[in-house]
Amino acid sequence: MIIEIGHFSVVVAWVLTLLGIGSSIAALRSRNADWVRVGRIAVTLTFVLLFVGMATLVYAFLMRDFSVLYVANNSNSKLPFFYTVAAVWGGHEGSLLLWAFILSSFSTLAVWLHWRTQPTIMPYLIAVESAVMLGFLSLIVFLSSPFARLVPTPLDGKDLNPLLQDPAMVMHPPMLYMGYVGFSIPFSFAMAALFSGRLGEEWIKVTQRWTIFAWLCLTTGILLGGYWAYYELGWGGYWGWDPVENASFMPWLVGTAYLHSVLVQEKRKMFKVWNLLLIIVTFSLSLIGTFLVRSGVLTSVHTFATDPERGLYILIFITTIIGTAFGALIIQSKKLKSQIEMDSFISRESVFLFNNLFFLVAAATVFLGTLYPLMVETLQGGKVTVGPPYYNAVFMPIALGLLFLMGIGPYIPWRKASASNLKKNFLVPLIAGLVTVVLLLVSGIHSLYALAGGFVVGFSGSAIFLDFGKISKLYANREHVNLFKGFLKAFSANQRRYSSLVTHIGVLILVIGIIASTIYQTEKVVSMKVGDTFSIADYEMKLLNIHEVEGKNWTAQEGVFEVTQDNEVITKLRPQKRVYTASQSPTTESAIHAINMGHIFLTMPDVSADGVAVARGVINPLILWVWGGGGIMGLGVLLNIFRPRRREE
Amino acid sequence: MMNRYILFGFLILVMFPWPTLAKVVDETELDVQVREIAKTLRCTVCQTENIWESGAPLAVQMRAAIRERLTLGHSPEEIHAYFLSRYGDYILMQPPKHGMNWLIWVAPFALLLVGGFFLYKEVKQWVRPSSSTPQQPPPPLDQEARERIERELHHP
Amino acid sequence: MSRGLQFSLVIGLLALFALFYQGLWGDPRSIPTVLIGTTAPTFTGPDVESGQTISLDQYKGKVVLLNFWASWCYECKVEHKDILRLHQQFKDHPNFVMLGINYQDELPDAKKYLKTYGSTFQHVRDIKGSLAIDYGVYGVPETFVIDQQGVIRHKWVGPIVGQVYTNLTENVITPLLNNTPPST
Repeated sequence: MIIEIGHFSVVVAWVLTLLGIGSSIAALRSRNADWVRVGRIAVTLTFVLLFVGMATLVYAFLMRDFSVLYVANNSNSKLPFFYTVAAVWGGHEGSLLLWAFILSSFSTLAVWLHWRTQPTIMPYLIAVESAVMLGFLSLIVFLSSPFARLVPTPLDGKDLNPLLQDPAMVMHPPMLYMGYVGFSIPFSFAMAALFSGRLGEEWIKVTQRWTIFAWLCLTTGILLGGYWAYYELGWGGYWGWDPVENASFMPWLVGTAYLHSVLVQEKRKMFKVWNLLLIIVTFSLSLIGTFLVRSGVLTSVHTFATDPERGLYILIFITTIIGTAFGALIIQSKKLKSQIEMDSFISRESVFLFNNLFFLVAAATVFLGTLYPLMVETLQGGKVTVGPPYYNAVFMPIALGLLFLMGIGPYIPWRKASASNLKKNFLVPLIAGLVTVVLLLVSGIHSLYALAGGFVVGFSGSAIFLDFGKISKLYANREHVNLFKGFLKAFSANQRRYSSLVTHIGVLILVIGIIASTIYQTEKVVSMKVGDTFSIADYEMKLLNIHEVEGKNWTAQEGVFEVTQDNEVITKLRPQKRVYTASQSPTTESAIHAINMGHIFLTMPDVSADGVAVARGVINPLILWVWGGGGIMGLGVLLNIFRPRRREE
Repeated sequence: MMNRYILFGFLILVMFPWPTLAKVVDETELDVQVREIAKTLRCTVCQTENIWESGAPLAVQMRAAIRERLTLGHSPEEIHAYFLSRYGDYILMQPPKHGMNWLIWVAPFALLLVGGFFLYKEVKQWVRPSSSTPQQPPPPLDQEARERIERELHHP
Repeated sequence: MSRGLQFSLVIGLLALFALFYQGLWGDPRSIPTVLIGTTAPTFTGPDVESGQTISLDQYKGKVVLLNFWASWCYECKVEHKDILRLHQQFKDHPNFVMLGINYQDELPDAKKYLKTYGSTFQHVRDIKGSLAIDYGVYGVPETFVIDQQGVIRHKWVGPIVGQVYTNLTENVITPLLNNTPPST
């Protein structure tokens, strides 16, 4: 009964979405503010109804109501409570409902937040958000309802995919969707600007916080995905250039380009068309990503039976949205005769342009690599794999270029940089970069990528610290306080700038972690019996015993390994080979010990009947910098979002 | 009677903590070779995973096939050729550099070069003609920094 | 935006959506075989039921149909009736042989499967999976047709039912048995 209430709510929400579109069109036609109010009510009620829909689904999961098909397919009576909630978005139908729910909460928030300050934008905002919402709700209502019943009711559910039973996976999809959906707000404002012809800087300033918030969510989502792959998939890596990962990385790359290029429009009122284009591409890529993941074009969501119906529907939907957006941009671009004026090629403006070029080429590379197999199949009928070796080879130079620009952009002045200015700002970083290379060479590191990475990290890192140092000193002198207080004063005086630099520091740390853990990863796989020892790097691993352990919905063979270094016991690691009871599917659970900012990563992929265990040890140097860097990036964004408001904003 | 002695002897053999039984194990040259080849081949039933990282039964069997061929004295190139002849280009983790595949190997760098050239030309065009007139020398360094502080302090 | 830029934007988007549309009808799991027209790799292996050794070489000069299957595979059960029907249809032809190849399976499971669903022809066990790799197999069921000269002439991934059955029997096997080139 309860689940029918959920179903009914979503159907009503679908109708209200139509009302939202209709009332905003009526508002634009009649210029009657009452229609906008109707739109606001529709958007708000949609949110309430989708909340009810989500709640009934969560309730069905918690009550373990296996008469609901979706619950039966994605949970089991023995599934722990924590994962039962996560199972709500563990499958196709539930993730779509979550998408729609997040979208409706964001649009409701945006409507109420900007109601007073942006009255002219409102009808457009409501119309665009409702149109996107209509697409998703139609999909849910007509093609992938999570509320369908299953007759007869099975005794127990099939269980959630064991790989998804992981804490990082609980938060990964919501964060990712919040990122995708978050970009819909600046997208809607951009569309409003295009349709209304109010093409100034206002929409960018209003949505600035939305944009970095969406970026933060998307970044967190991607990092959580990497974290999950690292712990759960058991091969010791965190990024596999898988089509699903790429689908989230593409909007991130273009979104990051957008984040930077809007600064130019804010300060110098240039690149208007360009910024509109970037936000449209960012949101389009979010939609395309959803299409790629959900339609089965690149990944097989279903075996042999191909069912293009859903995919076709999503394709029509995203074509409509993307087509309308680009159409509006092309038509309105005539009005946007750019008044581009630049003083010099050597200026912050042009560094930003090159930043955009690199980000877009990076996105195009991922896009091309992801779709290339499809292209080959269509054009030649053959099939190829575009895997990590390809991306690592072509992506590295582009990424290094971006990092180098990161060391220039924030410190080169707007308009024109003089020679003395360049010398003042970049001589020390250049020397620091070269010193880093020499230090790396002396310490026996000869990998070209590591050296190139060392140079750009040294360059960009020292540029940041040079800037922090200078400004802290000036404030300290001026206010007669010590250097640290001077730093704090400087930071809060221009928090937007300096919090961004904190994010840049996070990026550098992340990159150091990636380079070290990719190039200097060591790995060893051995077959061993209880009592045997193997060594990896300067650690000895002794298999003490193998025993059975049991969890709530799984059983496992657990190996106990004693890790020693120079005859000193460091820790005991307990990797498991698990079998989940309901689905009988095996997983390898890794055991990890953090040491010197890196990880000793141990898995036991196999134990034979006669007691021979296969042990796989991986040493990932500096891997903690990857997660730490990600954390610092997030901190920078939070400082940016929660900066004190200034009069000019 | 005899059986009991045999059983007893067997038990001693099994139960006694023979120090020599616990040994130090290590990878052989063969193991390393298998890994290097396995990392370049795709697990055909997985999602962009190589057969080294994958736990799928087919991947396990393919690793065994690599090992067997290496033991028979096949070279890594021959093993690659064998898998290619069975599964086509799909089995390789990266598109081989021939034919249309050049497109994706060259495109990123071509885009950077073309885009960079285009940007350079555009920016040169946008640069105000007035800026070609000699400008005043830049103000002294400290002055400039002070101005920046002044500006920032005005908006606390 | 310049006219050229607008134009290329529209063309690019159209091409992209056309590509997506085309992609909807493909199966991301299917891999086109590169084996058509090459000599069928030979193999020997034990019979699932009797355990006696079977070799492909025994059937030189005949049209051989190989059907890879496993007891855990759902689609194999879907096609099983039609596979038996296919054998009935051609089994009296002196130049036709059909072999099942049991792939990634446990012997008791395979035996039980054949008992439950019935079997009229021999099945070879692929113990190490090397036979399957030789044939570029990546999923079951997969079906191959080898001609009298020992050349692979046809491959199909997925169950042999409906239209696929008709095509296989009428356009591939019958012409081969009549020594006329198949028209696939």
